Amino acid sequence: MQIEQFNYDNKIVRDFGIATIIWGLVGMSVGLLVASQLIWPQLNFLTQYTTFGRVRPVHTNAVIFAFVGNAIFMGVYYSLQRVLKARMFSDTLSKIHFWGWQLIIVASAITLPLGLTTSHEYAEMEWPIDVGIALIWVVFGINMFGTILRRRERHMYVAVWFYIATFVTVAVLHIVNSVQLPVSFWKSYYVYAGVQDALVQWWYGHNAVAFFLTTPYLGMMYYFLPKMANRPIYSYKLSILHFWSLIFIYIWAGPHHLLYTSLPTWVQSLGVVFSIMLIAPSWGGMINGLLTLRGAWDKVRTEPTLKFMVVALTSYGMATFEGPMLSLKQVNAIAHFTDWIVAHVHVGALGWNGFMTFAILYYLVPRIYKTDLYSKKLANVHFWIGTLGILFYAIPMYWAAVVQGLMWKEFTPEGVLKYPNFLATTLEIIPMHIMRATGGALYLAGAIIMTVNLVKTMRQGKLRADEAAEAAVPGPIVVHEAVRHRRLERKPVLFMVLALVAILIGGIVEMIPTFTVTSNVPKIESVRPYSALELQGRDLYIREGCVNCHSQTVRPFRSETSRYGEYSKAGEFIYDRPFLWGSKRTGPDLHRIGGKYPNKWHFDHLLDPTITSPGSIMPAYPWLITQQLDNSLLSEKMNAMRVLGVPYTADEITQAVAHAKQQAATIAEELRSNQVDVRPDREIIAMIAYLQRLGTDIKATAEDERAASTEINKRN
Amino acid sequence: MFKQITNLNGDELYLIVSLWIFLVFFISVGCMLFWMKKDHIDHMRDIPLENQENENETRG
Ligand code: HEC
Repeated sequence: MQIEQFNYDNKIVRDFGIATIIWGLVGMSVGLLVASQLIWPQLNFLTQYTTFGRVRPVHTNAVIFAFVGNAIFMGVYYSLQRVLKARMFSDTLSKIHFWGWQLIIVASAITLPLGLTTSHEYAEMEWPIDVGIALIWVVFGINMFGTILRRRERHMYVAVWFYIATFVTVAVLHIVNSVQLPVSFWKSYYVYAGVQDALVQWWYGHNAVAFFLTTPYLGMMYYFLPKMANRPIYSYKLSILHFWSLIFIYIWAGPHHLLYTSLPTWVQSLGVVFSIMLIAPSWGGMINGLLTLRGAWDKVRTEPTLKFMVVALTSYGMATFEGPMLSLKQVNAIAHFTDWIVAHVHVGALGWNGFMTFAILYYLVPRIYKTDLYSKKLANVHFWIGTLGILFYAIPMYWAAVVQGLMWKEFTPEGVLKYPNFLATTLEIIPMHIMRATGGALYLAGAIIMTVNLVKTMRQGKLRADEAAEAAVPGPIVVHEAVRHRRLERKPVLFMVLALVAILIGGIVEMIPTFTVTSNVPKIESVRPYSALELQGRDLYIREGCVNCHSQTVRPFRSETSRYGEYSKAGEFIYDRPFLWGSKRTGPDLHRIGGKYPNKWHFDHLLDPTITSPGSIMPAYPWLITQQLDNSLLSEKMNAMRVLGVPYTADEITQAVAHAKQQAATIAEELRSNQVDVRPDREIIAMIAYLQRLGTDIKATAEDERAASTEINKRN
Repeated sequence: MFKQITNLNGDELYLIVSLWIFLVFFISVGCMLFWMKKDHIDHMRDIPLENQENENETRG
């Protein structure tokens, strides 16, 4: 047998590691800021770039794509080389991947506060950045597959399958969810509208959790946990079963984010069934991890890395138990739109992703620096403070969710809502939000301690940029291997195709009928496209990120129809690009806000919410009053909408600006008659036009019907 | 509790077909596992632990 000498590239691992730490600190600090804004709205600082609606996407994207993203690349680049016994395919591609990804992060961190957003959750970046993400992802893919093809180990270890599945699925998700028609360099519209857009977004959103936050981490678990515990994985067979059923089932579960909305019932049911089934592969993975530690629990007591791993796995188990529970319609009816969901994702993000990232950093930094960890004691302090942080975060949020969720639904014996004023329910949970922010601060403090520890470790060691290794060159295959999976483990491309098929089935079954069968989105005659000014207002609503606090979909419950009005129908959203249903009710639902208040109320409320709603935690939007509405793209926007199928006439498009001005003049006039002096060309006029239009089309039908039925009655 | 998934106004077909697809898929993976050789499994399990000595000797 011929033995070959080669080097592992540790420098790229180190670079991704440092990026993980820096972006982790940034992402968590921004998280702490948005958490505090929900307690003290003054922390929105009265500038448009720092309000909650714009900063919350900075937090989510920073944590998902910058912190966890870099951590994935760190873990993959370290473990892939070692299980394949080969250096990364190309140092140049590694560098392009690294710097390209950091550039994308910086571009997002700049554009999101500027209000350049598509408003699809966890995919808010506008199309040029989407293109950048796709390109860099392909670079990563080439680099990974190049390494796989040059491997010196004939078979691909289970971790590698998880990486391959991550690569293909994220590519598919990202592309499908980013199909937009650009209007300008920083503005675009989705080709999907309303219900269909919602389905695509949550198919993406849910599977971003599955294939960005879960599968790469499972792959890393299958490599790093055996390394840390110095014993092989408990059951390799279970890992195969776990892998295939996890990737197959996960992709179906997206609709559980849309229960009780106007999404077709059968799609919702598919989402529920597959979400419940998901518990099996998820727990299979967790159990496989925990049982790997059997006989090594003494080590867990002394090794901080293993402590972090145990809590990570336990959090994974909790989150994946809770997920299926939240998919049950009865539970969802209470928990959805509340802080429960926020708690749920943070058990996953802080416990599973965060803690495993910390464990891996503590494991590999000393190794690539050829030294020992600077202080085990500090790592233990980090562990305890981090765990405390998670508890302080999650428990108050569950509590807040139950309190507020029940208040929303409580009726008096006379049959009216006990808390008709939404704000009363918000103020009730502020103490819990203070505790949540404390939990977040503790967690961040732990991360800072880790940073100090790791910097000291790096200082005391010296980076082994190229780590020497040797391995036998696998000879040509002579015997034909009878067992199918065994052959599969040798054929990365075939493997990728099979994984692709497994993840495509669910999406296809759910999406194609929803897009093609018209009965799935019944048309409503009275629903008309937005006027030019309303469309502008809608784009301002998107820019300000109001969707981060307000839903626009009334569910068919008595508690919601008495609070908000008629429940939402699929046909009402056919011109909504993007859909703006939201996922969290920090403020009340706005789908039926049109006509609820006079224009002046909205003016005052946006100028300073506490004028109309004392104690409100909604940010103030004074710049809407001072800034002039930018109509320069208006005709192009409407034209783009027409291309996508909105029935605007040629006249409506060419005269868009004139029409907008006309409508604005009427609103400004009405405001003036109520002692509000504002110029008609200001942004707030468009915003008011949009808010007053919301959910009113269907009232026209109701009135028509009533008129028609009185006609009939008269005639009889 | 099952009403929420069985009451589909004639669209049950989607659910039934989907579950069948899963069942077939799951059974195939099961069969594959059943016919897998033990020595191969042992080899695969040990892959991450192989360069162990190398690492211990260069550490510290
Ligand atoms: C930090 C979360 C938050 C953001 C961001 C936010 N709101 Fe609110 N909003 C609230 C809360 C809380 C209330 C309830 C108290 C009140 O009336 O101010 C509310 C109430 C409202 C109401 C009154 C609803 C009713 O039925 O009484 C409207 C209208 C409204 N918001 C519009 C907007 C618009 C437009 C934006 C974006 C420019 C926005 N909100 C951004 C939290 C938010």
